[in-house]
Amino acid sequence: MAFLEIRDLTSGYGEVQILWGVTLSLEKGKLTTLVGSNGVGKTTLLRTVMGLLRPWQGSVSFAGRDITRLAPHARAKLGLVLVPEGRQLFTDMTVYENLEMGAFTHRARASMKENLDKVFTMFPRLAERRQQLAGSLSGGEQQMLAVARGLMAQPEILLIDELSLGLSPILALSLFESLGTLKEEGLTMLLVEQNVAMALAVSDYAYVLAEGRVHLEGPARELLRNGKIRRTYLGI
Amino acid sequence: MFSHLLSSLSDGLVLGFVYGLAAMGLSLIWGVMAVINLAHGPVIALGMFTTYLLFYQAGLNPYLAIVVVAALGLLFGLVMYGAAVHRVIDAPHLSSLLSTFAVNMIIIGIGTAVFTTSPRNIDFAIGTLNLGPITIPLTRLVAALGAVLMTVFLYSFLYLTRPGKAIRAVANNREAAELMGIPSSAILALSFGLGTMLAATAGAFISTFFPFTILSGFPYELKSFVICVLGGLGHPLGALVGGLILGGLEGLVPIFMPVSWVPVVEFSLFVLVLLVRPTGLFGAK
Repeated sequence: MAFLEIRDLTSGYGEVQILWGVTLSLEKGKLTTLVGSNGVGKTTLLRTVMGLLRPWQGSVSFAGRDITRLAPHARAKLGLVLVPEGRQLFTDMTVYENLEMGAFTHRARASMKENLDKVFTMFPRLAERRQQLAGSLSGGEQQMLAVARGLMAQPEILLIDELSLGLSPILALSLFESLGTLKEEGLTMLLVEQNVAMALAVSDYAYVLAEGRVHLEGPARELLRNGKIRRTYLGI
Repeated sequence: MFSHLLSSLSDGLVLGFVYGLAAMGLSLIWGVMAVINLAHGPVIALGMFTTYLLFYQAGLNPYLAIVVVAALGLLFGLVMYGAAVHRVIDAPHLSSLLSTFAVNMIIIGIGTAVFTTSPRNIDFAIGTLNLGPITIPLTRLVAALGAVLMTVFLYSFLYLTRPGKAIRAVANNREAAELMGIPSSAILALSFGLGTMLAATAGAFISTFFPFTILSGFPYELKSFVICVLGGLGHPLGALVGGLILGGLEGLVPIFMPVSWVPVVEFSLFVLVLLVRPTGLFGAK
């Protein structure tokens, strides 16, 4: 059975419908990528999955439990954690306090020390700047902090919205390498990424979203190999 | 002349601490959830009357009573948040202004019916401090000290404890806080409770040296607005400094012009700060 199961989800903002029945599932321990051009509803999907947006119809279930009506913080408590688009850091708080807030839930607090060691090993820059205000970090450092804060929450499933947006290629590459490490550790992840080639290269499975629906899905490698798909959907 | 000035200024400054304490409650609530609590004055008055009742009905020392007032003030804020604020927290500002104003009217209405509007006072004195030309009743000095202690308490809470840091996180980015598993509604309720706790405590301190009615909170609410604008809304420490500035002004102005000009000077300052530096003297952004 799928670890995260999204069934027939429709949602939107006000009168504007963005998602037109998305069905998608994540396998435990796999890295799944969500691909699609701007405005097809990738961020809307992640926000609905987290409960920041109320779904109009459809359901979301996590580890066999229906969580469609749960508040976002209750989902985080279960281990469903989003690294949001635009980082959404606590800019007036220090790097360390941001990480501490990442480990707010009971589950996460228990393993805060190990997780702190882990993220500081993964991102040594953050360790150097732990007493600095998050708002004063560079863009790349902020993205590291956003990922690190998500990891502090001891996620069962980590959703990442736009990992490499606005980052230098070198930094993006190193963040993708970090994802590889996390995958080896068995973390289940859903990645939304505009750098499609890079995302597919590290992913197990991929969904192509178009016009608020899943248009195509399959093992990431097959999608990457298929010339027609590459041209039509992926633009590479 | 100089000794007169000194005694008047010190009088004002000592009161300024208490003004600052009252304003801190308003400032905290605004800083965390962008709500202007129009029931701020009546909550201050409730603090006064609770101290009064505990003193005369339960025979409690006013300073012990203040501890009880603080606890009840917190509780009152939690209930008020649940009943009147939470449902309009995401609505436009006008809604929360109206709903807190409604609470304001309810408290004043019930308070007037129960206590009438004839002034009460707590017959309590612990002597005076004499330093040359300066004479300060010790009740006021204790109140100033209490205000400083409450400020230290508030900052320690916000910067050293987990729920306190969660308050700052929610104030900073509520959605991100939710995503990290912080129950933001509970945290907002807690912040509101802390704000009313500060207001009620300020009222309790004031009741130990001034007579009061159920309407007495209103002037302090107005002062709180001026202070918050001076110190920058959302900066609790700025509120304390703003309180001292206002207190100092209240000490100085009557030396040079009739007392009735004090509010004119205060609110001219209010408008001036809004025109020149709308973020307050200590506001960052």
